[in-house]
Amino acid sequence: MTSICLYFEVHQPVRLNRFSVFNIGNRESSLRYFDEKLNEEIFTKVAKKCYLPTNNMLLDLINESDRKFRISFSLTGTFVEYCNQFMPEIIDSFKELFKTGAVDMIEETYYHSLSSLYEDLEEFEDQVRLHRQMIKNLFNYKPKVFRNTEAIFDNRIAKKVLEMGYKGMITEGTEKILGWRSPNYLYRPVNTNLKVLLRNYNLSDDVGFRFSARLWKDYPLTADKFSQWISNCQGQVVNLFMDYETFGEHQWTETGIFDFLKHLPEKVFNYKHLDFMTVSEAVEAYDPVGEIDVPWAISWADEDRDVSTWLGNDMQLACFNELKNIGDKIRQKGDEELLKTWRKLQTSDHLYYVSTKGLADGDVHAYFSPYEGPYEGFINYMNILQDLKQKLD
Amino acid sequence: MKIAMIGWEYPPFKAGGLATHCYGLTRSLADKNIKVDFYMPKTKQSAESDRPNLRIIETGETEIFPYDRPDTKEIGGKFYDAVYYYNALVVSKVEENIKTNGKYDAIHCHDWLTMKAGVTLKHKTGTPLVLTVHSTEYDRSGWLYPNQWFIDIEKEGMENADRIIAVSHFTKRVITEKYGINPDKISVVHNAVYPIQEGHKKEIVLFLGRLTIQKGTEFFLRAAQKVKDYEPDTRFIVAGSGDMLPKLISQAIDLGISDKTIFTGRLTDEEVKHLYGISSVYVMPSVSEPFGITALEAISAGTPTIASKTAGFSEAFANCLKVDFWDTDEMANKIISLLRYDPLHKTMAEEGKREVELFTWDRVADRTIEVYQGVT
Repeated sequence: MTSICLYFEVHQPVRLNRFSVFNIGNRESSLRYFDEKLNEEIFTKVAKKCYLPTNNMLLDLINESDRKFRISFSLTGTFVEYCNQFMPEIIDSFKELFKTGAVDMIEETYYHSLSSLYEDLEEFEDQVRLHRQMIKNLFNYKPKVFRNTEAIFDNRIAKKVLEMGYKGMITEGTEKILGWRSPNYLYRPVNTNLKVLLRNYNLSDDVGFRFSARLWKDYPLTADKFSQWISNCQGQVVNLFMDYETFGEHQWTETGIFDFLKHLPEKVFNYKHLDFMTVSEAVEAYDPVGEIDVPWAISWADEDRDVSTWLGNDMQLACFNELKNIGDKIRQKGDEELLKTWRKLQTSDHLYYVSTKGLADGDVHAYFSPYEGPYEGFINYMNILQDLKQKLD
Repeated sequence: MKIAMIGWEYPPFKAGGLATHCYGLTRSLADKNIKVDFYMPKTKQSAESDRPNLRIIETGETEIFPYDRPDTKEIGGKFYDAVYYYNALVVSKVEENIKTNGKYDAIHCHDWLTMKAGVTLKHKTGTPLVLTVHSTEYDRSGWLYPNQWFIDIEKEGMENADRIIAVSHFTKRVITEKYGINPDKISVVHNAVYPIQEGHKKEIVLFLGRLTIQKGTEFFLRAAQKVKDYEPDTRFIVAGSGDMLPKLISQAIDLGISDKTIFTGRLTDEEVKHLYGISSVYVMPSVSEPFGITALEAISAGTPTIASKTAGFSEAFANCLKVDFWDTDEMANKIISLLRYDPLHKTMAEEGKREVELFTWDRVADRTIEVYQGVT
């Protein structure tokens, strides 16, 4: 038997207001960092195109398959706050999905942050606890599997995650750590007894990135064809992990992405040796077949599959350090609003917008960025960090 | 292939990007085995060719300075006469050369000043005409009171050209929308640069260009005033000369920045290169800018650049900052950020230098040859 783990990352960042050097230290612009209007606009747009229709479809598919179609989600704290603020019915629909018993919830940092890369992991633990509390409040459930921001993973983080009581963790199935080995098995980090699920990036990206690429030799991708590819895989699991926004947002309805999703379960069930499992079930059912050693952080982002997407240039490092270094002061101050603001600024997207990778060829970074380019992104973010810093003196 | 190219400025005589363009283009064409005869007016310093395939042919003296704007009828009269006189001289010189050396494969003109000659030669000799548009009358007037006399010459040239090269998509749009030319006839070829040596950086914010309404120098000064209070050690250099100079000096005094602002007047090539090298920020706030080679020059010297959003340069270049020329608050925000945040300055300088390497005259020559091949 080979089990398909279908897992979706559900996240929306908190986009920033335009904040110039002249706003730094200015009372009127005090802590007015977040662009409420733009955030609401984007959120409601994506909700209508993706979250609501996809949730509905998944619920039908689960019920029609008698709960044999099983999926996993991770919802970030910033996403859930948007739901509460703008469209509480989305939370209700996630609750309904969860009630079927065919849906698993995955843990991560509440703010989708890079706190796992700080020397001191206290902030990371706090943000994981915040997420844990949120999932408990929403679903009365304690997740067993952890997925760090953008699947960032190394030995040190794995050890901490095990210490915090999780049984499994998700990361990228990159050759960097696997060499010749297959991502379709569970592995164990060299230093801890955690079960690691690895994303099958070829099959995941066939849906996430290539689905509507007309120049791709396998275009158009159908549920039939895709199930056949999966059925040819050997191993314990095939981990298909992607952004939830793939459905209806990155890939528009017109591309046929919803038809694809709709027919996927029935096509998979044609193969007797395939089934669906949630990530918790996969971690229960299978044992690691080998070890992985990850001294340097990997992730599922870009071609490099490391953290250079967020920390690849001097501007990104400067922002990252600035933010990290004011942490002690902010945490000691005990001002809830300040602490929350600082944490919202830790969301990894802010650094993603400052990436200069492939800038000259205008690549995928530009698609997601609310700025004209990385330099504008840096100036805005850095100005805000300088303002926040001044608030501490 | 043999080309008669007609221009009016060539280093060491230089008033704008057209000279830089003709210099880089003709040398790279010559390296690609294209024979080029470059016709231009005689100037005080003679231009010389350093390529066997390239001849610089100086044809008579002329008093014209093409960026002058004839304000009164009297100057206007002389000005117009001088233009016709130069064009007539070029025509007879080219015809003379054709008699001795045979026909050209194409005539290639640059901007309005040479268009009359190009059109006449095309009809007299039946040689295809290529026209490069570096700027239009709308650009030079900053879109305020464009002069119909220039527009008529430009339109005639564009209509008669077999093929037009525009230095940007921005300019291509102007040519189609304002002059009613079929877009299919227009190829866009972005400019290039010979890299300039980086110097030891000082806290200098640089403007460089003709001091005309087109270049938006007044917005640079307004931004400088806003920067001054935040970065008191910064100096602002306005390099170049032009009809706006007296007005700009008064403006600097009124804004209270005359102690921080240096007006250099006209500079030599060496001085210009030195300034690019030691400046920390280059600002190109043009009201209307078909391309803006100076931005490439500054970036090649490791100087991060803030350019007008609508400049042709901005459509072609990623590693720069872009502003609306009138938005002096945002311009100041970006200047201060570049002065204050080293990581921003360093990344833009490094990435900019890498990107600028793509802008070679070799590439411009290749694209230009494609255009020649299309008409011959």
